[in-house]
Amino acid sequence: MINLIKRDAIIQKNQLLIFIPFILFFVFMDTHPVIIFLVASIFIPFNAFAYDEQAETNILLNSLPYTRKEIIAARYLGALVYMLLSVALTAITLLIFNKPFTMEQIGFGISMFVLFAACSFPLFNILKQGYISLVLLISFLFLVGIVPKWVDKLLPHIPTIINFITNLSNLVLYGSVLLFTLILYIVSWMLSTYLYQRKTF
Amino acid sequence: MENVIELNNVSKRLKGFSIEGLNMHVKKGFITGFIGENGAGKTTTIKLIMNLLKPDQGEVKVFGLDYKTNEKEIKERIGFVYDGNIFFEGLNLKDIRRIIAPAYKRWDDQLFYHYIDKFELPLHKAIKTFSKGMQMKASLSLALSHHPELIIMDEPTAGLDPVFRQELLKLLQELIVDENRTIFFSTHITTDLEKIADYIAFMQRGRLLFNQSKEELMDHYAVVKGDISLLDRDTEKPFIRIERTSAGFTALTNNISEVEQMFEDEVLIEKATLEEIMYYSKKEKQYD
Repeated sequence: MINLIKRDAIIQKNQLLIFIPFILFFVFMDTHPVIIFLVASIFIPFNAFAYDEQAETNILLNSLPYTRKEIIAARYLGALVYMLLSVALTAITLLIFNKPFTMEQIGFGISMFVLFAACSFPLFNILKQGYISLVLLISFLFLVGIVPKWVDKLLPHIPTIINFITNLSNLVLYGSVLLFTLILYIVSWMLSTYLYQRKTF
Repeated sequence: MENVIELNNVSKRLKGFSIEGLNMHVKKGFITGFIGENGAGKTTTIKLIMNLLKPDQGEVKVFGLDYKTNEKEIKERIGFVYDGNIFFEGLNLKDIRRIIAPAYKRWDDQLFYHYIDKFELPLHKAIKTFSKGMQMKASLSLALSHHPELIIMDEPTAGLDPVFRQELLKLLQELIVDENRTIFFSTHITTDLEKIADYIAFMQRGRLLFNQSKEELMDHYAVVKGDISLLDRDTEKPFIRIERTSAGFTALTNNISEVEQMFEDEVLIEKATLEEIMYYSKKEKQYD
């Protein structure tokens, strides 16, 4: 299993060279720390998924002494491992360049990453090769086009919601966000395992 | 004799193609060649054996074990070579080794580098720059370095130059000296099989036509040539397929004794090559 996780680093060795400039770009653009943490976390796991989308990779992995369960587990655990490493690296970079950030921002960035990963990983197992970027694009446009309208409708209720949230203690708030995203991640993991076991190569 | 691979009553339906009730046993310690035209179901069968595809019905057993409970143990003992490159194109052999080697408990680095030397493969060049022959050599090096008991290859000789094809066949013969080892490979170059295979499995349209020892097969089948006037409804019976020309008929039979009895020395009976067996069997099926 650890071998499968290490594999991502070996494959992406060269891409990792652009990882640092990639983070630096956002740092110098004065992007919000939450967004920096989010894009930094997404970099390696999604790159890895793009590689594994290829049929040949799946034929190789499934011919080696690994079970399909392990292959999916390595992807989900690997995503968390690389996310944490990326966050650490980003935090160090921000410290070096004297850009302020808070633990809450890290937590928020991580939650958003986990949420995004949980929603999109199973798609890699449902969609045919090559379609995934199209679908991600469409869902992004959908989010941009539709969600603001929903938010408009929600606006009259917002004071109630804000009231409700501000009445919660920080601990309860962050705790429940973390718990929610983790549960979603595990459900997504189970769904991917189910789908992957039924896949043909 | 012990079977290494057993397919019992296996059915698999794919888009536009299906395998129905396939029974196939591959014997331990021998080279079995798997032939059939393109699209006959060879690759599908190999994928079923590798558990890349799961059968709709029936069971697949490798080393007498079931994939449901022993998937890792089975794959630990298989070396695989596929048609085409399945390794990460942009990586060099050194990095690919770093990914493949830790997957196997019995990986032998010394053996790996022995093959790299033997095949004169560069370790630091991306695999996508390799020629077809070099890619095959690289796949072989990676497939053989964990001392596999069963070597499964899908079209390993396709697209190789004659020199390397001979080298490969020689290497396979060396490997099979170890009697615990079994080689199963598909090909459509039948002359390769005539040289090295012990058993021949012939697949056609998702069905296994036969799976026999090469000697048995050669004794069993013959090409018969004679004058067309000899043929009538009764005398045509022992033939699988007859081809008529103005010069006479050429036919394939799997019942040599009946032909001998029927025509005595009025016809010419010749040993059939694998290619002839394949060719005439194919023709036969086009009319049913």
